[in-house]
Amino acid sequence: MASEVNTDFLHNKKLDSIAADILRPVGITQGFIVWMGFLGISLMACIYAYYIQWDKGLIVTGLRDYISWGMYIANFVFFVATSLVGMLISSVLGLIGFKWVKPIARIAEIIAVAFAAIAGLVIVSDMGRPERLPYVFMYGRIQSPIIWDVTVVTTYLVISTLLYFLPMIPDLAISKGRIGHTPKWLQKTYQILSVNWNHTPKQYKILLKAVRIMLILIIPTAFAIHTVTSWLFAVTLRPGWDSSIFGPYFLTGAFVAGSAAVVIMMYFVRTNYKLDKYLTEHHFDMMGKLLVLVSIVYLYFNINEYLVPGYKMKTAEAIHLNDLFVGEWAFMFWSVQLLGLVIPILLLLFKFFRKPFPMFVISIVVLIAAWFKRLIIVVPTQDHPFLPIQHVPKAWMVYQPTVVESAITIGTLLLVVIIITVLVKFFPVIPIWEMAEEQNEIDSKSKE
Amino acid sequence: MIKRYFTLLIIVLISMRLSAQVWVAPAENETKKSPFAFDDASRKAGAEIYMTNCKSCHGEPGKNNAVLLVPPPPDMSSVKVQANSDGAIQYKIAVGRGLMPSFKNTIPSTDVWKVISFLRSFNDKYVQEVSKNDGGGASVPNVKIKLNWLKESGQIQISLTAPSKEKGIQPVSAAEVKIFAKRYFGNLPVDEPRNTDALGKAVFNFPKDLPGDSIGSVQLLAVLSNDAFGDVKVDTTMSIGVPTYRAPLNEQRAMWNVVSKTPIWLLLAYTIAVLGAWGFIIYVFLQIRAISKEGSGKDTESAA
Ligand code: HEC
Repeated sequence: MASEVNTDFLHNKKLDSIAADILRPVGITQGFIVWMGFLGISLMACIYAYYIQWDKGLIVTGLRDYISWGMYIANFVFFVATSLVGMLISSVLGLIGFKWVKPIARIAEIIAVAFAAIAGLVIVSDMGRPERLPYVFMYGRIQSPIIWDVTVVTTYLVISTLLYFLPMIPDLAISKGRIGHTPKWLQKTYQILSVNWNHTPKQYKILLKAVRIMLILIIPTAFAIHTVTSWLFAVTLRPGWDSSIFGPYFLTGAFVAGSAAVVIMMYFVRTNYKLDKYLTEHHFDMMGKLLVLVSIVYLYFNINEYLVPGYKMKTAEAIHLNDLFVGEWAFMFWSVQLLGLVIPILLLLFKFFRKPFPMFVISIVVLIAAWFKRLIIVVPTQDHPFLPIQHVPKAWMVYQPTVVESAITIGTLLLVVIIITVLVKFFPVIPIWEMAEEQNEIDSKSKE
Repeated sequence: MIKRYFTLLIIVLISMRLSAQVWVAPAENETKKSPFAFDDASRKAGAEIYMTNCKSCHGEPGKNNAVLLVPPPPDMSSVKVQANSDGAIQYKIAVGRGLMPSFKNTIPSTDVWKVISFLRSFNDKYVQEVSKNDGGGASVPNVKIKLNWLKESGQIQISLTAPSKEKGIQPVSAAEVKIFAKRYFGNLPVDEPRNTDALGKAVFNFPKDLPGDSIGSVQLLAVLSNDAFGDVKVDTTMSIGVPTYRAPLNEQRAMWNVVSKTPIWLLLAYTIAVLGAWGFIIYVFLQIRAISKEGSGKDTESAA
């Protein structure tokens, strides 16, 4: 984001066409109703599953004494991970000055907000007595990484929301008069949220400063959020978790998952809303390169995480690694490493695979693999506590997720999709004013 | 011929070994008797001691499930054992022989009597004879132990007395006394065991550097081991140790302690980080208000 804004773009005729393009999908359409209806009904089923868990307790899940962290915690790590991409794209790349991230930045922020908002709920789903949630704040200890996590997830959610909202204020003002086709309450919402914006230079100055502060602040916050999440594991002594590179390992993995999520959403927005003028092949190509870069970094951390203990094969570590490499978890482990990391890296090196559709497919595979990768980080370690599991029912030794548990997990994913859908359908998904400003620059240059 | 000779030799050897197996207690022990009457409480306590110390070899009495050793540990309900007098059993347990360990130093004599009390419950014909007090000197029960701190020499003086029917309170001489300082995990012997002199007194050296509690108190245990009358113990606290104050572990600031005992560095780091981040967030909210103020009253549509 530039430090000065030339408001000439407001008088450029192209603003009208850009605004029209971007605002066309905004509002309640038939497709929206059908889609939300589908999401809503599916969500009801998941809420019923949660009702069962609320009523009976965690006994309805596959979680037992030994494997007490399963799908829910893996899902939590996945959510936090995916949400980090907001920081990577708008902040790191934006501050460096990459212009191509402009139309993508808001998509990345939507993903950040949606996943961070639901991450908290995911944690609650793992609680046997959720009504005791306030106890975390009443009796929590500052020494516990769980408190750091709660603090930092909340902070990250607020900053991400601000980073979604702040750059949208000029857009809301521009859109106010152009969304006559939408319901009255939405127009009213635009009116309120545009906070008397009328494009004065002073307003732009204040806005740019505020955004810049948030863009900088979100970097340490995002690092903190995922590093702390990794510490929930790394501060224990258990093989597979007892690792000094867990922070960066999680962080780099997060960028892989998040970039894939952004590509998927870009593809949907581009094809459904016919915004291929703004989300061009160039943008997909750049995202492809970004995905290769973050994947290679993550691969590097994977090699460290597995090769170094694998070289030493300390007793407890060896049991764990054998399980992953050749044992019970081998199929999932190698599928995730190959499909989610190695093959995408190789494919995305070719320009052909960085075209929108191949990118879309690859990203879906990467994102699914990212989810299972979190499961591999969370569960197998608990299979082998230092004191061997003895004299317990078979069901306690092997983690077998139940239908209820899976439904609740799917429910949290549905909630994310619902949030994304609502934000995409009710607000401009691509920054109108930034697009117009860019267009104006091009126009004025060509005039010279 | 040679074969026969060998067979004979073996038979002789075996019979010699068998005869060697008869285990007789010395006459003076044969007649020893328990200082107390056996009752349900003593049988119960004895059973417990037996199960922990003896069952591993002798098995449970009456079940003939002893371990196969040579010579075999006899079943406690067998005639072989029950034919012993109480004193003989007490002697055998205390002294041991071959694979039968000596329990003199592991089980106090009162407890041995309790075990015997338990063993006798497997013998219907048994009638107990309790030791009769003959009223003479050290064998009088109700022995009193008194501890005195000799400040100048840094020693503990002990005096033993016992009431006697004819002569009133009398000193107990030639009795072995041990002193222990009670520690967290067990008793620490103070000096060597000593015998009381003619005046019923004995003096123990007390270490100068023994830590006591915050005011130097040390809990002392004086024990008189008396085969015939059981142990006499006395517990006293004396301020004779080095005063030591060790903050309990839960008083210091630590990662594992309660929230009010958070380490300072962590408290600072957390507070600064949270206040810093939220300071900026609040500042940005104020900026949104500033934007709104700046634009209020102006025609918002003009630009678009
Ligand atoms: C390590 C195995 C072992 C343990 C423990 C053990 N005994 Fe014995 N005990 C033996 C053996 C062997 C003999 C036979 C010794 C012999 O005849 O030379 C024996 C003999 C005896 C005898 C003598 C029987 C007789 O010949 O008159 C008595 C009484 C006795 N044990 C009681 C006890 C009691 C009471 C305990 C527990 C406080 C105990 N034992 C613990 C192995 C053991």
